[in-house]
Amino acid sequence: MIPIWYYAGKKMSNELRSRQVPLLALAAAFSFVIMMFNVPIPGGSTGHAVGGAIIGIVLGPWAGVIAISVALILQALVFGDGGITAIAANCFNMGVVMPFVGYYVYKAISGNSEITSSRRVIAAAIAGYLSLTIAAFCTGVEFGLQPILNHTADGVPLYMPYPMSVTVPAMLGEHVLGFSFLEALITALIFAYIQRTDTTILYGENSPLQKKKQKLGASA
Amino acid sequence: MLPEWMKEVDVGPCRFSAVYHGKKGFVGKTIDGIFGFLQEAFVSETYAKRPGFLQGLDPRAKMISILCLVFATSVITNLNLLIFTYALTLMLAYLSKINIAFFIKRVWLFIPIFAGIIAVPAIFNIISPGDLLIQVAYLGKEAHLGPFSLPESIYITKQGLNVAIVFTMRVAACVSAVVLLFITTPQQVLFKSLHSVGVPKIYVLTLEMAYRYVFLLMDLVREMYVAKKARTIKSRSMFEEQKWVGGRMGYTLIRSLDMSEKVHMAMMSRGYNGDVKIMKQFKMHNRDYAAVAAAASLSTLLVLISHNIIQV
Repeated sequence: MIPIWYYAGKKMSNELRSRQVPLLALAAAFSFVIMMFNVPIPGGSTGHAVGGAIIGIVLGPWAGVIAISVALILQALVFGDGGITAIAANCFNMGVVMPFVGYYVYKAISGNSEITSSRRVIAAAIAGYLSLTIAAFCTGVEFGLQPILNHTADGVPLYMPYPMSVTVPAMLGEHVLGFSFLEALITALIFAYIQRTDTTILYGENSPLQKKKQKLGASA
Repeated sequence: MLPEWMKEVDVGPCRFSAVYHGKKGFVGKTIDGIFGFLQEAFVSETYAKRPGFLQGLDPRAKMISILCLVFATSVITNLNLLIFTYALTLMLAYLSKINIAFFIKRVWLFIPIFAGIIAVPAIFNIISPGDLLIQVAYLGKEAHLGPFSLPESIYITKQGLNVAIVFTMRVAACVSAVVLLFITTPQQVLFKSLHSVGVPKIYVLTLEMAYRYVFLLMDLVREMYVAKKARTIKSRSMFEEQKWVGGRMGYTLIRSLDMSEKVHMAMMSRGYNGDVKIMKQFKMHNRDYAAVAAAASLSTLLVLISHNIIQV
């Protein structure tokens, strides 16, 4: 994880210079807060989104890495529920896999379509779905690696009692059929809202409006 | 003259709550979640200000000591040592003037959620084969669950139970140590001390700012949900409600990026040029060195005993 953070940090300080700290801090605060939004789901219950994909789409994957990592570290430090020793694995699954998968899936599907086209909404939905599913798959693999890497001499696992044949289907199953759909829906809804209101915040777009904004930013 | 009761200082943490009639729904749950968050932050702040044992240590010394203990705990496999470590954290909590009941509740609140899911199935013979302890169900020969064939009977095994208990105790000891660290340290000080364990200054500043703005954004979200609740007579279709939530998230995102621009301009106008300077007012005393030495040697000892390098 450290080389990824290091590279992301270098890239950010070149791209953003003095804007780096406030932008990443606010983006991290947003990544933290997004999990507070409860969404109604069928069956009268509620769920919440992880938001890795939409953050990747809006900020670009590298800024997404830092923003989500900072949010996860805050969660682990301030609330002690993320676990300090698992922080690297956590940041990899949610902070690296999600924004990267999200951003590139979105880019690949939306291609050169108009920024307000509905194709991009669908692209965002698929990006949300795949990003969470692949992150869940990675988590399953990491869990499954534990008994292979760490076990006592007579084969009793030290940390995770389950082999990969249990962890991967368990993690994938619940996500493919459930959580990923919610993530897809939420990612699409947020994206549609941004399309209607302010498309200039999207990362890597070259619309005339955005160029104007960048010019303003450069002179400021 | 103030009346006597006004001078009384309430030492216990106060409770934040919202009152509901009937079922909560997603709006109520969100507002509750935000109140829970604020309460959590507020309570740890009140403990961090008390004159206790851990509060008196240098934050860097405290952070290094606790991290040593956490890493030792995560490699220990001996149940007795894990119980010892957990008892140690309880004792430290007591010395730091933390309400023990509150502390235990705080630690065990999160454990059932994920440790339970992982640990409970492991006690059965399906996952951990071993000696029979309690028989749960007799399925008969050639029982099947879909395409999977099941063993003749399902029972709790000694080995399985051991794995589950060790796993849960390890999580409890680790969480306990980390909770101890952050409820005895004010947040700003905690982030600053991260610099001393090698986190670059720029991330320390980002963390600090992110923590501050989390509260602002939380309040923004709370206001949106309260406003919605106040205006709701009849709930709409689920998709409409989901669309509302998606829109609010998008709005929060736009607002936070916009705010970052303004914050940046405000920082620039006050002389910020991208170079971060952190004020350091920490001073290591003898007791801080003693604490680090004690924690490091204890952690090493625990690891050595657990791996049978030292026989007890």
